[in-house]
Amino acid sequence: MKTALLCLWLAVLLTVPLWLTDLYFLHILITTGIFTIAAMSLNLLLGFTGQLSLGHVAFFGIGAYTSALLSLGFDLQLTESYRFAVAPKPVWLAFLAGIVVAGFFGWVIGRISFKVRGAYFVIVTISFAEVVRLVALNWVDLTEGPMALSAIPPFTFGIPGLWEETIYKKQPNYYLVLGVAILSYLVIRRLVLSRVGRAMIALRENEPLATSVGIDVTRYLILAAVVSAAIAGAAGGLYAHYVRIIDPDIFLFIYTVTMVIMVITGGKGTLAGPIVGGLIFGILPVVLRSFAGPEIQWIIYGAFMILIVFFLPDGIVPAIRSWWEGRVGPLAEPEPAELSNARPAERQAE
Amino acid sequence: MSHWIKAVALTLSAVALAAVPQIASAQETIKIGVNQPLTGAVAASGNYVTNGARIAADELNANGGILGQQVELIIEDNKSNPTEAVAAAEKLIVRDEVPVMMGAWSSTYTLAVMPKLMEYEIPMVVETSSSGKITTQGNPWVFRISPTSEMEAKAFADKIDDFGIKKADFLAVNNDWGLGASDEFRTMLKENGVEVGMVETMSADAQDLSAQLSKLKASDADTLFVTTAVEQLTLVLKQAKSLGLPQTIITTGGSQSPDQLIDQAGAAADGSYHLLFFAPWFPEAAPNPEVAVQFVDKWKERGYNFAGLTEGFRGYDGIMTIAAAIEKAGEAEPEAIREALWDVKVEGVNGDISFIKQGPEGMESGQNVPAVYVVKIENGEIIQPSF
Amino acid sequence: MDQLLQHLLNTLILGGTYALLGIGLTLIFGIMKVVNFTHGELYAFGAYMMFFFAMVLGLDFFATLVIAVILGVALGALIEITLLRPLRGANIDTTMLVMIGAWIVMQNTEQLVWSGIAKSINTPFPVEPLVLGPVSVSWVRVFVFVVAVLLILGAQLLIHRTKLGKAMRATFQDRDTAALMGVNINFVYTATFALGSGLAAAAGALLGPVFVVTPTMGNLAALKAFAIVILGGLGNIKGATIGGFILAFVEEMGAGYVSSGYRDAMGFLLIIIVLLFKPTGLFARAERIG
Repeated sequence: MKTALLCLWLAVLLTVPLWLTDLYFLHILITTGIFTIAAMSLNLLLGFTGQLSLGHVAFFGIGAYTSALLSLGFDLQLTESYRFAVAPKPVWLAFLAGIVVAGFFGWVIGRISFKVRGAYFVIVTISFAEVVRLVALNWVDLTEGPMALSAIPPFTFGIPGLWEETIYKKQPNYYLVLGVAILSYLVIRRLVLSRVGRAMIALRENEPLATSVGIDVTRYLILAAVVSAAIAGAAGGLYAHYVRIIDPDIFLFIYTVTMVIMVITGGKGTLAGPIVGGLIFGILPVVLRSFAGPEIQWIIYGAFMILIVFFLPDGIVPAIRSWWEGRVGPLAEPEPAELSNARPAERQAE
Repeated sequence: MSHWIKAVALTLSAVALAAVPQIASAQETIKIGVNQPLTGAVAASGNYVTNGARIAADELNANGGILGQQVELIIEDNKSNPTEAVAAAEKLIVRDEVPVMMGAWSSTYTLAVMPKLMEYEIPMVVETSSSGKITTQGNPWVFRISPTSEMEAKAFADKIDDFGIKKADFLAVNNDWGLGASDEFRTMLKENGVEVGMVETMSADAQDLSAQLSKLKASDADTLFVTTAVEQLTLVLKQAKSLGLPQTIITTGGSQSPDQLIDQAGAAADGSYHLLFFAPWFPEAAPNPEVAVQFVDKWKERGYNFAGLTEGFRGYDGIMTIAAAIEKAGEAEPEAIREALWDVKVEGVNGDISFIKQGPEGMESGQNVPAVYVVKIENGEIIQPSF
Repeated sequence: MDQLLQHLLNTLILGGTYALLGIGLTLIFGIMKVVNFTHGELYAFGAYMMFFFAMVLGLDFFATLVIAVILGVALGALIEITLLRPLRGANIDTTMLVMIGAWIVMQNTEQLVWSGIAKSINTPFPVEPLVLGPVSVSWVRVFVFVVAVLLILGAQLLIHRTKLGKAMRATFQDRDTAALMGVNINFVYTATFALGSGLAAAAGALLGPVFVVTPTMGNLAALKAFAIVILGGLGNIKGATIGGFILAFVEEMGAGYVSSGYRDAMGFLLIIIVLLFKPTGLFARAERIG
């Protein structure tokens, strides 16, 4: 039954471009997919390690800018005598470099910000994203600043030298995003179900206890930050080469908030949560657009966020699961979040 | 694991239903896409341009439409952001299937949208943007009715002596328009033997400019050229006044709306000069006085803000140019409209509109040569400066 | 030299309003352990109320200022009672999410009500600036500075000299003990949040006429308030006051002598540097408010 449904689900996803002929809607699905990948990566930090990282969009943007800049090439006069020029690189290479650079920044920010917790951590991560935005805005020689990086080449597909196809059309872009999404899902699943994942969850539930039994807290947090940042960077790269224009507004706090809403609505600390949340909040704007302006849409988002925290603090996925279990009995394979009994909100509540 | 799959499948199918295309309305209309900043940093200007476009569309429809069909403006907000401008263009082209567009106010938004014109082969009339790059990079789908910064600078050249400029500084918004304009004016001034000093920049949403202005105050230049949208210009004038800046301020770009400056900056606007492309206080002095006067009357009739006229005329001229092209083409198809745009001759509010070729051969963009005016604010009044 | 003097004067004037922005936020964090993401929206709310009463209804400028602050206090109390009171005792991340939600709702409501077009507020002050030798400053900014300093001093007095202030300090030190000693914790929390909100609204009402009023004006204000509070140490009012002046100094000098484009980045770089070397802020006396 379970396998059958999984196959059905995959079949639906794989055949979407065949039965969905409306290009505009396919466009929405592609951007939804990209933001879902970013939400999945945020979930690794927010859900599994319990760190409310609110600068996540920085990694998304760094991935996007790195990939775009390398594929376009750039020429920087750093000092009078020193010039740093990069010829345009193939898109795939640029995309991989974007992932690596985003991951590197994840490491750096991990080193800096995991020294502090709680409100300080939140503010450091927000500040980081804001600094990156201002650099992108003002380093005009490199990033074109507010003029935006445009005419970013799309992905190419094929065997170099023999046969190459440039992906302008929406259908192949859809499959590309879907592929990266599935790969990211598998990486995250692998990570959280491993020993590393158990250590992360242990320190989310009780950091002092985790430290006392010999878990190297900072190391695991940094590992999570690197993987999370790298996946967010991949999402950013996909975005840059799909939309083919990026500007410093890509670093706005509101996009981090979108990812956070996706994660907490779906269910933080569950593998399926960000996917459910991502689909809901990726597609909701289209449904709302016909009768409401963007302001209304955002008001609904904000209200959603408050309502979820009040009435469904664990998100949709755990809620459905417990309803299902109440009727049918326990599931064969527990989600990692259920490996421990207490949830942080309950533990700290009075 | 299976229940969520079900939930998602349900969501997806619900949404798929929502995505079924709506039944087309019985009455066929000619759609024109309008891509303007209706919210965000430069929203005021975008709304004025859109109002001008509405006047043009209503006037066309009152006179029987184009080719016997009613004109329908599809207005999309680009939120004062280049990426959103592209998203708006994508929506207009793919979703609404417009055969022609007008947009996108700022040079930055227009430049961002331009690859989409190539990709989908849709012509666009550019009503405000002034960056030289727009018509010189080889995009045959672009037709611009507004002047380039270079044209504006050249038009100013014979006024240098009137102003008695010896040395000039610049304060510009850090985008294609601001940086482009200060480049062109710098080149023009140098060619005319005027010394050029500092170039200070500001981001489009900056509100406290006292640091930049304090720096400029210490300069020995006699004139300060400012290029930015009217909202920020108000702040520049107010803060320059409070810091006691000695320089004469001249604003460029035609997006200044002196009335709004007087209204919002008060006496701080006194003594400043403004380069404009339409002077609604003296419509009789325009090249096509009848068109200008009736446009100003319609604008007032609708209760639109008079201050917006210096921007609003662009929307009117843009839509009228598109209408003339569709009429000439005989059909509302992108390629035919593009062809026809080369031959249009429109009596616009700014002046006569027609396109000359610019850019690499075979890939030329269309460029109109519009009129440029200088006005001065004195004791809260707009006057034509006498030298 | 003249340029330096002008920059220093700008710093002083700007610092006063930054300090006002910072103390409201730090007060709420110190006593309630809530990171108030709606701070910037209360700032924008103050500015819009100013616009509404002074420009739309045509009331007196100074009366409007008082009305805007009172409404800010009322809105703060409303937020506290409806959103934060039910979450009493929840962890800090939970309340942060709720406050982010509230922030989004508030900002977009402003956008809906007032549209995205910037609004300008006229003041009764003369346009001719106050000239002090080589430097000058507009009268409205002098007024803003004086009121800001008075409000900061008033807040200090309230905390140190009144019964409510005593209850606030007791709650800050140990909430449970304070409750046992008969302090009405709910009242203290509501009062704290309302006071912090009132200060934010006051900052908006004061600066609205200096700049222009837009729905997104709160974003940068909130980020700057965060920077100021981090500099001074979360929950430290004196620290926030000094932090406000430091931020103004760094921004003004950075823009004047390094690069005007990086003006706003200076503050955030400062935060990251401070947190690297002294994570609890420059004035780490977080054990006591005031």
